[in-house]
Amino acid sequence: MRWMWIDQIVELVPGKRMVAIKNVSLAEEYLHDHFAADGKLEALPVYPASLMIEGMAQTAGILVGAARDFKEKVILAKIMRAVIDGDVFPGQTIRYEASIDHLDTAGAATTGVVSRTEAASGQWEVIAHIDLLFSHADQTMTGVEVPEHNFVFGENLKIILQSAGLAGAITADH
Amino acid sequence: MKFDLIDTVLEQSPDRIVAIKQVSLAEEYLADHFPSFPVLPGVLMVETMVQAARRLLADRGDSRLVLGEVKGLKFGSFVRPGESLTVDVTVTGSEDGTYQCRGKGRVLRHDRECPDETAVSGRFTMRPIRRTLPKQLTRLQET
Amino acid sequence: MPDSAVLTQDEILEKTREVLMEALVLDADEVTPEASLTTDLQAESIDFLDIVFRLEKTFSTEDKPFKIEPGELFPDNLLENPEWVQEGKLTDAGMAMLKERMPHVDFTEFDQDRNVEKVAANITVSSLVTFIDRKLSA
Repeated sequence: MRWMWIDQIVELVPGKRMVAIKNVSLAEEYLHDHFAADGKLEALPVYPASLMIEGMAQTAGILVGAARDFKEKVILAKIMRAVIDGDVFPGQTIRYEASIDHLDTAGAATTGVVSRTEAASGQWEVIAHIDLLFSHADQTMTGVEVPEHNFVFGENLKIILQSAGLAGAITADH
Repeated sequence: MKFDLIDTVLEQSPDRIVAIKQVSLAEEYLADHFPSFPVLPGVLMVETMVQAARRLLADRGDSRLVLGEVKGLKFGSFVRPGESLTVDVTVTGSEDGTYQCRGKGRVLRHDRECPDETAVSGRFTMRPIRRTLPKQLTRLQET
Repeated sequence: MPDSAVLTQDEILEKTREVLMEALVLDADEVTPEASLTTDLQAESIDFLDIVFRLEKTFSTEDKPFKIEPGELFPDNLLENPEWVQEGKLTDAGMAMLKERMPHVDFTEFDQDRNVEKVAANITVSSLVTFIDRKLSA
């Protein structure tokens, strides 16, 4: 499996806001463990909330990274608050909308709204709010060893950025 | 990936569970997180605590509780291949089928000279699966 | 509009306590004025970032943004300077620098110890209130 929890960037207002979507499909193996048939209960695939948090972290992390030309090592440092009021099932699509609340040399705070829709229904409903805090690794993580080079924004990111027309944003020296 | 993050349960009592997740280069997601610096993703630390809590709460009736809320959950040290994450989760309260929990995860290194470090700590809530949204979304309205 | 009126120390304390309760997931009775952010409230460096961002949001108004510069509340990078810190202890020059850079903190007791690792422990809830009050009045 790939550790890529968004499929497409739908909208980007640099330094302010980004919207991304993720399709949820039964073809994704982990859904068959979450949850598998268990004695009396039938299998019930439901999208893990922790991966919903990761989808928001990737959306917000790219938004924050892009705001400083992907030069900082943007690391998720704290989940300030996540409230997940509804669940997501295969056949549905998740929409992540992240906004930058604060950004400076030390890190960034983002707020985010998660919505879901049934494929082709055209109707979205808000199911979660996820507020995150990122740190710029070199600036604040004194004592924790991190590599010199920017390991956060690499090849996989380019695929997503390419399809959104943003591939030029990461320069050759990453 | 197999979505089973609990490898061993060290201790379990009605309100508390201590369990281990081993991290190995054989785990596929590490190839992407990150290619030159493989470390256990923070959300998988959260998922480990969630799975530990689910096991702990299974005896209370619902064996398929899911994560409903997270508060003030911070990440500290990285957990690398060859190291393990030991999670210690306690149930602090319950209300209408929803359970409040507090969890902490420490890095376990095989080099005994290194003291354990905190990788993750924070609070979260477990609740039953919901197909439809609750009528009252009061929490979502809060800014 | 009441918004542009200067906040009293009590009002600043209340808003600050709310920020700390949210950022550190604490109950009201745990956040006393004398509580040390690090020793009593378990705040770590990432929490300081969270607290700074929330304070900026809380105390900014339309006419006057409230911005805390990195190192303004707690000059953590300066503590690596050999002029201020020798063998883990603050030098006389270091103590003078601390008192100047952090006038909102009472370092009288700390002067006896001077252990660099304990600097942050001196930031109490009330010293945070003093810091905010000074900035708002500036």
